[in-house]
Amino acid sequence: MKSFKFLPLILVFILVFSSISAAQTPEITIWCSEKQVDILQKLGEEFKAEYGVSVNVQYVEFGSIKPNFLTAAPQGKGADIIVGAHDWVGELVINGLLEPVPPFEGQETFYSTALDAFSYGGNLYGLPYSMEAIALIYNKEYVEEPPKNMEELINIAKRIDATYKGEVRGFITSAAEFYYAAPFILGSGGYVFKETPEGLDVTDIGLASPGAIKGAELWKRLVDEGILTTGDNYEIMDSLFKEGKAAMIINGPWAVKAYKDAGIDYGVALIPDLEEGLPAKPFVGVQGFMINAKSPNKVLARDFLVNFIATKDTMHKIYLADPRLPSREDVLSLVEDDPDIVGFTQSAANGTPMPNVMEMAAVWGAMNDALNLIINGKASPEDALINAVETIKAQIGK
Amino acid sequence: MWLLLIAFNALFIGAGVYLVQNSYYELGAILFIASFLIDLFIINPRAYPYRYTIPALIFLLLLVVYPICFTIKTAFTNYGTGHIFTRQEAVERLLYDPNYTYAESEEAIGFKVFSVFEDSKPTDDFILLFDINGELYLGDVPSPSKQRGKEILLREGKTYKVTSEEVSVDGKVFKLSPFPESLENINMIVSADKEYKSLYALDDPALQKNAYHFIMLVQKYLANAEYLNQDQGKIIGIRVDTDGKWKFFFVERLYRLAYREIEEDGKVSQKMVIVNTRTNEPLIEDKGSFYDIDENGNQVFLIGYTAWVGLENFLRIFTDKRISGPFMNIFVWTIMWSLFSVLLSFLIGLVFALALNNERLRGRNVYRTLLIIPWAVPYFISVLTWKNGILNETYGILNKIILPFLGLDPVKWFNDQYWAKLACIIVNTWLTFPYMMTISLGALQSIPDELYEVAAIDGAGKWQNFRHITFPLLLTVVAPLLISSFAFTFNNFTLIYLLNSGGPPMVGATTPAGHTDILISYVYKLAFEGRGQEFGFASAISVIIFVLVGGISLLNFKISGAFEEIRNE
Repeated sequence: MKSFKFLPLILVFILVFSSISAAQTPEITIWCSEKQVDILQKLGEEFKAEYGVSVNVQYVEFGSIKPNFLTAAPQGKGADIIVGAHDWVGELVINGLLEPVPPFEGQETFYSTALDAFSYGGNLYGLPYSMEAIALIYNKEYVEEPPKNMEELINIAKRIDATYKGEVRGFITSAAEFYYAAPFILGSGGYVFKETPEGLDVTDIGLASPGAIKGAELWKRLVDEGILTTGDNYEIMDSLFKEGKAAMIINGPWAVKAYKDAGIDYGVALIPDLEEGLPAKPFVGVQGFMINAKSPNKVLARDFLVNFIATKDTMHKIYLADPRLPSREDVLSLVEDDPDIVGFTQSAANGTPMPNVMEMAAVWGAMNDALNLIINGKASPEDALINAVETIKAQIGK
Repeated sequence: MWLLLIAFNALFIGAGVYLVQNSYYELGAILFIASFLIDLFIINPRAYPYRYTIPALIFLLLLVVYPICFTIKTAFTNYGTGHIFTRQEAVERLLYDPNYTYAESEEAIGFKVFSVFEDSKPTDDFILLFDINGELYLGDVPSPSKQRGKEILLREGKTYKVTSEEVSVDGKVFKLSPFPESLENINMIVSADKEYKSLYALDDPALQKNAYHFIMLVQKYLANAEYLNQDQGKIIGIRVDTDGKWKFFFVERLYRLAYREIEEDGKVSQKMVIVNTRTNEPLIEDKGSFYDIDENGNQVFLIGYTAWVGLENFLRIFTDKRISGPFMNIFVWTIMWSLFSVLLSFLIGLVFALALNNERLRGRNVYRTLLIIPWAVPYFISVLTWKNGILNETYGILNKIILPFLGLDPVKWFNDQYWAKLACIIVNTWLTFPYMMTISLGALQSIPDELYEVAAIDGAGKWQNFRHITFPLLLTVVAPLLISSFAFTFNNFTLIYLLNSGGPPMVGATTPAGHTDILISYVYKLAFEGRGQEFGFASAISVIIFVLVGGISLLNFKISGAFEEIRNE
C-alpha cells in the first residue's frame, strides 16, 4: 500500500521535466534604452516579415544593460544584441562575450572616430550609431558671443560674477570630475594611454606629463580666481543652468533638451581654446550595437545590424528619436540645420575617443581624487597627478 | 497531506536535478538536502517538533547557508573579469569557434545552394555545389560533430567530386541537370524522391530574393560547419568577406590539440596542449588564462577561465602593499564609525523614546509618526538630500544660511577629513535613530510598572529609577539589537558610497583610499574599479570581514552578557 504513494511523485516528476525541456524557437532579443525601443520594434517587424524570425526589443535602463549582460551572457542567456557605450568593449571582449562584427557594406560612410572607438585588438566589436562630446553651452541672455579662448572665458565669467554678485554664476562645470576637466588636461598635451598601432599601451600613462600638469594648472587657476568653487558638481551645474542662473557651462548633448524645455535661450559652442592654436580636447563617447558572442543567433543578429540598422534611413530615425551626433557622415548632412548638433560635432571633431580598455576604470577614480586634491589646494597639480598615475598603475598592475 | 509532501518533493528534487544539469551544483545540493531534511522531519515521528521550523529552514538554507558556501568557494578561485568560463568551455572556444580560424587565401570558392521547395517555399533540406578551380563538388547538409549540452559547437560536412552526371553520396544518387555545364547554369539536382532547385548564388540576380533563406541556412547549419575536401586535404568554411557577403573559403584552424613534451619539475612528460598552427608553438596557460605569442614576442591574452587559485586571494590581502598600507587607518575609522553611529543614534533614540513613553505628553502619536519619517523615506533619497541639499559646501543650507547666520565660517563637509567623517556619522544617525527609538519604546513598555511602584515606595528619584531599573532592563532587550546594528553599520556600504564615495582622498596615497572609506567600500574600489571585476578577491575579503565582524560581535555578546538573562529565564 505504501508504495502507491510514490506513484503520483513519479508523475509530478515527469511533468516537471517535460516543462523544462520545452523547445526553443529562434528569436533575436535586443536590450536597449528607452529611446530606441520604438524604432527597433518597427525594424523588428520588417525583419520578421522577411526572415520569419521575430525580434524582441526589451527596454533595459542604460546603467543596467552592461551588468545584466555580464551576468546573463556567460550562462548563454541574455540579449543577442545590446545597445551601449563603446567603453564597455574592453571588459566585454576580455570576458569573451562580444562577437566581432565582420566588414559590411557602407562601412566607409561611418566616421573613423566612431569605428575606432569600437575597435579592440584589431577587430570591430560594435556598430556605432551616435557620438557625443561635451561642449560649451552658454546662456544668450548673459553671453552674446561665446569666448574663443580661456582668457576670454575667464574675463566674461568674472564680469558676470561681479555684475550679479553671486546670483548668476559666470562659469560652472563639475569641478572634481575628470570627464569635465579632460578637455584641458588632454588639450595641452596630456594623454591617458599611449596610442600604438596595436591599440592602447596601458603601461604608458601620460596623465602626469608636462602637458597634463599645464592643463591641471589652468583648472586650478579657475578655482583660485573664484570662477569655479570646490563644491561645484554636475547636479548643481545642471540645475543652475536650467534656472537661468549660470551663464556658461560645459555639458553634453544629453542635457540640452532639458534646457530647451526650461525655456533657456542657449547656444552650443566649442570649448574655448586653452590658448591661441591649442584647442580643448574632450573625450568622445560613442554609442552602438554589440553582438553577444554566446548568442545562438549570431548570424541573424549580424544580418539585422548591417542590413536593417546600419542604413542611412534607420540612422536618421534613431537620430530623430534621440538627437545625438550621428556616426554616419551622410546622416550628419541631413541634420546640419540643427545648431546644437553643429556645435557638438565641432567639439567632437577636436576630441579623442575615450579609451575602451577596461583599465580606464582605474583612471576615473584616481583622476577624480587628484582633481579634488588640486582644487582644494591640498596638493600641487604636479604632485597630485604623479600620485594619480601611481594609483592607476597600482590598480591595473594587479 | 501526503500529496502535498510528494508534490513538494517533486518540485524540489526536480529543480535540484535541473540545477545540477546546468552545473549549479551547490544550489542543487542545497535543494536535495532541504528536501531530505523535510522528509525526515515529517516522516520520522521523533523529529516531530522540527516540522515547525521547515519554512525557516528552507529560507535559512537558501538565503544564508548557500550564499556563505558560494562566497567561500569563490574566495579560492580567480572568478572575475576574463575568468568567467569553465576551462572546458575556454578550450572548446579556442578549438572550435569560427573566429579562431583564418582563410588560407583571399580567393573565395564559387558556390550555389539548392533546396527542396514545398509550396514554392524553400525548406532546410539543401545541397551545396562548390566550384573549386573548375572542378565541381557536391556538399551535403553538415551534421553536428561537437556539442556541449544542446549547443552545437561544430558541424562537419563532406564534399563529393562531380565526375559525371550522377553523383553517389552514401549510396544515394544525385543527378545534376543540365550536365555537363558550369555552376551558374546547373539549376536542378534530382535524387531518388526529391527535387533540389536553385536557391541562392552570389551573382545570380534572379535568386537574390532567396537571400534571406540562405542567411537562415548559414545561421542554422553553415556558420559553424567545416567541409572536408579530401582531394585537396583542406577544410572549406563560410566567412564574411571584406565586401560584407558570406562566401566559402579554404580555412585553417588557428589552434589544435597536440601532444608535446613538457618539462615540469625537471621531468619530461607527454602532455596534451593547445598549439598555434601558424607558429607551431604551444599556448601559455597561466592562472586561468591562455596566452598566445605574437610576431613581436609579446604575450597576447586569448581567453580565460575560472581556476582554483588556492590561498592566493587571501595571501594578497596580507602581502599587497595597496591593502596593508592604508589598512590600519581604514580599520580604525571603520570601528569608530560603527561605534559612534550606533551609540549616538541609540542615545538620541532612547531620549525620544523616554519622552514618548511619558504618558503625560500630549499628542504622542503625532510626535511618534513624525519621528519615524526619516526611517520611512527611501534611504538613497535621504542621503542625496543630505549630500546636495544640506551639506553641499557652496549651496547647502548649512553653509549658505545656517552657519553664516550664526556667524560661523562655512565648513568643508566633504573635503576636510574630520568634517567629512562627522558628516557621515551625522547622516547615519539621522537615518537610524528612529529604529533605535522604536526598539527602545517597545522595550520600555515591557518593563513592569510594579518595579517603579516599589521604587517609589523606597523613595527613589527619577535618575535612580532610570539608572537602576529602566536602563538595565532596557539593555537586556536592546543589547543584541545594538550589536546587530553595529555589524550592519560596519558594512554600511550604501551610505558611505552615496554620501561621499569614501572621500576626501588621502593625500599622497597611491591607492584609491579615502578618509571616510570603510573596509567594505575600500575593498569595493580595489576589486571593482581597477581591472574589471575581481569576484574571487572580493569574496576572500568578504570572508575576512565576516570573521572580523563575527569576532567583534561575539566579544560584544560576551562582555555585555546579552544572552545571559534570556538563558536564566
